[in-house]
Amino acid sequence: MRNNSSANDIGTQYYATQLGIYDEMYANEIKALPYWERFMAALDKMGTENLELRRREAQRLLRENGVTYNVYGDSQNLTRPWRLDPVPLLISSEEWVVIEAGLKERAELLDLILKDIYGKQTLLKKGLLPAELVFGHEGFLNPCVGALQKQKHHLTIYSANLARGPNGRMWILDDRAQAPSGSGYALENRTVMTRVLPDIFRQTQVHRLSGFFKYLHKGLVDIAPHKKDDPRIVILTPGPLNETYFEHAYLAAHLGYTLVQGGDLTVRDGKVWLKSLAGLQPVDVILRRVDDSFCDPLELRNESKLGVAGLLEAVRRGNVAIANPLGSSVLENPALMAFLPRLARYFLNDDLKLPSIATWWCGQARERDFVLQNIDSLVIKPINRGIGNHAVFGGILNNKEKDYLRSQIIAKPHNFIGQEQVSFSTLPAFIDHKIEPRNAVLRSFVVAGNEGYDVMPGGLTRVARQKDNFIVSNQAGGISKDTWVLAAEPDKPVSLWTQPKRNQLIDADTDALTSRAADNLFWVGRHLERTEAVTRLLRVILIKFREVFEFKEPHDEACLHVLLRTLTQVTGTYPGFIKCDEKFIKAPETELISLVKDGFRRGSLTANIQAFFQAAFSIRDLWSQDTWRGVDNIQRRWQQRTSNVDLGIEQLPLHLDDLLTGIVAFTGLTSESMTREAAWLMLDSGRRLERALALISLLRSTLALRHEDVLQNQVLESVLVATDSLTIYQRRYRSYIQLPLVLELLLLDEAHPRSIAFQLHQLSVHISALPKSKKKSQITAEERAILKAYTDLKLSNVLELTQVNEDDGVYQQFEELLANTTDLLWRLSELIAEAYFSHSQTSQLMVHSTPEDEL
Amino acid sequence: MKYRITHSTLYDYSQSVGLCQSEARLQPRDFWRQRTESSYFEITPMPTDYNERTDFFGNRVAYFAVQKPHTKLLVTVISEVTLFPKQNNSGVFNQLSWEQVQQTLQGNSMSMQFQSFGQQSQVQGLACSLDLIEAKQYILDSPMVTVSAELADYARISFQPNRALVEVVYDLMSRIYKDFTYDPTFTTIATPLSDVLRFRRGVCQDFAHLAIGCLRAYGIAARYVSGYVETLPEPGKARLVGADASHAWFSVYIPDLGWMDFDPTNNKVPHDQHITLAWGRDYADVTPLKGIAFGGGQHTLSVSVDVLRLTDTH
Repeated sequence: MRNNSSANDIGTQYYATQLGIYDEMYANEIKALPYWERFMAALDKMGTENLELRRREAQRLLRENGVTYNVYGDSQNLTRPWRLDPVPLLISSEEWVVIEAGLKERAELLDLILKDIYGKQTLLKKGLLPAELVFGHEGFLNPCVGALQKQKHHLTIYSANLARGPNGRMWILDDRAQAPSGSGYALENRTVMTRVLPDIFRQTQVHRLSGFFKYLHKGLVDIAPHKKDDPRIVILTPGPLNETYFEHAYLAAHLGYTLVQGGDLTVRDGKVWLKSLAGLQPVDVILRRVDDSFCDPLELRNESKLGVAGLLEAVRRGNVAIANPLGSSVLENPALMAFLPRLARYFLNDDLKLPSIATWWCGQARERDFVLQNIDSLVIKPINRGIGNHAVFGGILNNKEKDYLRSQIIAKPHNFIGQEQVSFSTLPAFIDHKIEPRNAVLRSFVVAGNEGYDVMPGGLTRVARQKDNFIVSNQAGGISKDTWVLAAEPDKPVSLWTQPKRNQLIDADTDALTSRAADNLFWVGRHLERTEAVTRLLRVILIKFREVFEFKEPHDEACLHVLLRTLTQVTGTYPGFIKCDEKFIKAPETELISLVKDGFRRGSLTANIQAFFQAAFSIRDLWSQDTWRGVDNIQRRWQQRTSNVDLGIEQLPLHLDDLLTGIVAFTGLTSESMTREAAWLMLDSGRRLERALALISLLRSTLALRHEDVLQNQVLESVLVATDSLTIYQRRYRSYIQLPLVLELLLLDEAHPRSIAFQLHQLSVHISALPKSKKKSQITAEERAILKAYTDLKLSNVLELTQVNEDDGVYQQFEELLANTTDLLWRLSELIAEAYFSHSQTSQLMVHSTPEDEL
Repeated sequence: MKYRITHSTLYDYSQSVGLCQSEARLQPRDFWRQRTESSYFEITPMPTDYNERTDFFGNRVAYFAVQKPHTKLLVTVISEVTLFPKQNNSGVFNQLSWEQVQQTLQGNSMSMQFQSFGQQSQVQGLACSLDLIEAKQYILDSPMVTVSAELADYARISFQPNRALVEVVYDLMSRIYKDFTYDPTFTTIATPLSDVLRFRRGVCQDFAHLAIGCLRAYGIAARYVSGYVETLPEPGKARLVGADASHAWFSVYIPDLGWMDFDPTNNKVPHDQHITLAWGRDYADVTPLKGIAFGGGQHTLSVSVDVLRLTDTH
């Protein structure tokens, strides 16, 4: 059926497929497949403009949910937004049956191979797998031989990249067996799709994905040692710099697991423990996203900082289960594909249901000669992935490069394979307002269950951004798609919650906050508070700056200079306005702009916001969706507003107001949504500590030195504005601004949330609420420090504090009190770090670095 | 021949260490030339966790963890070993050429499988092929030995066509002994093999790695052996207790015969003065003692080894 409206051009009739290439929508036919026809008709009805709006809405949702993909070597812009094309890959239920069976079979087969390689090695002994193929692959870790525990399946999660060849058959391109990524992105893509195309999604019967995550959870519980009912499961991540860190945090939050880095775990007595605020907690299962050779610096890669020393020993003793087991990357050896048909017959007495892409391993003489002769039409891959090891398209090499490649193959033939170059199928993609064919790869996910393997009915489809590009990868900037497996009948939703047996009481897991997470929360609080203090001070300065410009009053100018010097003090950006010539302080614009936007300058607003964002991102799994939106909002809006090259001083007040609104929103969200447990205590302690320090710095810099009356009044007023206290002051004292009254309000008034007394009081309450290793009756060093600071402040007297030393004009006692409090607070910060952030202790390798013999 | 070996390692830290996990390959393994009568650790502070196992190469490994704060860690191993000086002399008469050995090692495992089936010699054939399969991993590159054109060039003179492999290795060993200067100041564990080759200096580990790389360049299986060698005092001088050291040499796989040891540092075939601790593809597989310490600041390390020949009492 043709739609003749000329405004839209996204119906199937406008879709230009390429000759000789299989297209998902047409499957070699003249007419589109019926389910594609229906889908495209619905899009057509919607219209291009509308579809573009939905695409943008999807991008907005993804961005706000913090869905990112980190690109290595991109330090300026750490995270790259995840791109989603609103046109999914549709797969019919009949075809899915075949794919599903093929994936299950392959997972079974790889599981058996894994078990053999790290167990009896029958395949090697019988000559079914060449020794060079196994021993020559970096994924084979000899310390892991014999370490597999008794489990029904060892390969808990498996993932394969699939693509359709010209004959319409699905092929497996490669196997991901150690720590497959993408399932979280697939789920998030689905969540967003149901929001932006709810009507079409409802009309199409699509299999749900939630069942897969239930199976994953069950699969992880099943492998817990000692058959524990409610094991502690953690996700081991390399950290926020990893390309798929978003997914680690996302899965941790979705499945309710603790997200940990190597430093959060420790091995004691042959068991694995989580270093939490409340002490060591046992860990039963690790879902790892760290490559296997990096997981144990003692037995595997010694230089690794991402692992846990002694982990393999704990595995060997059966005290912890790791999914997938250490050493499973041996299955990612592409040379293995050449042997799978034979191994399928050996283990399963069957032919492979899904073929692999044709592969020749050069470790055998005949295959090597074939590859050398046909180098032009093959893709040559080293069996080990690594720096400088890339797949090469033989056809695009010049003669010299070809000769070099040949000589490399001849020197170490077992290190290379040749693979057939396949032209993948295309499918419709919505790119630049048009529907165009793009080459696609489908990543599918399989998880081990009790009966066998379960396949996610869907997956992560990715297309190249450019036409005719076969290299589809996220690092190369590809676009993702949802994958809709059409159901014969509507699919029931599955809840992640498991029903406890009868009325079983489960202990609430309240203290699994890792010390690393605590550290980050503390710093989120500190960076945010510092940002706020600087923002408020800058606003006051800008007002004063304008007044000086307008009224040209000498007192205004003197006050401005006091404030500028204070800014240098508060931001710690010496020499700044402290030691500068007259010219510099009279034309402060350049320095002010630099303190606002220079991200490479410590103490600048941008640097503080970046630090705040990094700390918050490191604990992405702990924030609620709304709170994260608050974090993202602060960082993104600030970046948008200040990245402008010609940012002028006139626009600054507006930007600063906007920033303050974002900060206040975040603060409000956290205080409304966080339970008053360890995480909150850490966040708020950081905030209180920093607020006290910033305020002290402000007061010392503005008020410790006596000014003449007119100037003093101006400075006092500015201080009240910078601390958001002017209104309160006026309401309370109604009289002139006087130093003793200001000090009473900002130093000693415990009812005022901006006073130092308030911060110290809150800190002492928080600190005594933190989990302790000592007995209740004993007072900790942290408690002692804050108690001293608080008491010293309480015992001070405003009249004494405002006695000026006539020789040098300094308020001596005031200055001493604040200096003393600052010292105690810094000490407190160190004590908190020592007591609670134990992960920060670094490890060192102890080996001989000098020659061992003296013969 | 009996020996008592006392090997002590002392770590001294500038700051307290809260947790330290270690792995030691310091207990001698048993094989046809050697039997370990006794071998035990003395560790202070006493480890809370201690476990022994056998690794992939058949070496004895001890895992231990000290879980309380300490500023010194002393690891001592005392072993008594008997050597049987019945050096397999048939090696000298083995006339298999290196090309033949290379062919055998390259042989397709599939064809071997067919040879061994349905034959009278099935069991023997299988055992032999298992040896061969095990040997294959020692032809490939390993963490510290990567075969290069430079290594092949250096070895070429020894690999005369049709020369018996045993002769090739004797020649290679004596060339290394002559061409290279023993210089403990020149290298560390991290010195790459290419530097050793370029500057012609190194210590026993470097010479073992060098020989292994040369042999692997020609498709010959070679492995790394760590252990000790008895040193005799200069005539007229008393034996110094604790002045000995760890030692390293290499071993070559010769089909039908097995593994034959060579010591390029001393230009000698180990006989009754070499005590074997462990073997693997290279040093990284058999590091005598390694560990991860949390905290500790700077550390200093001191090692003392004593190899004492026990007088025969029978």
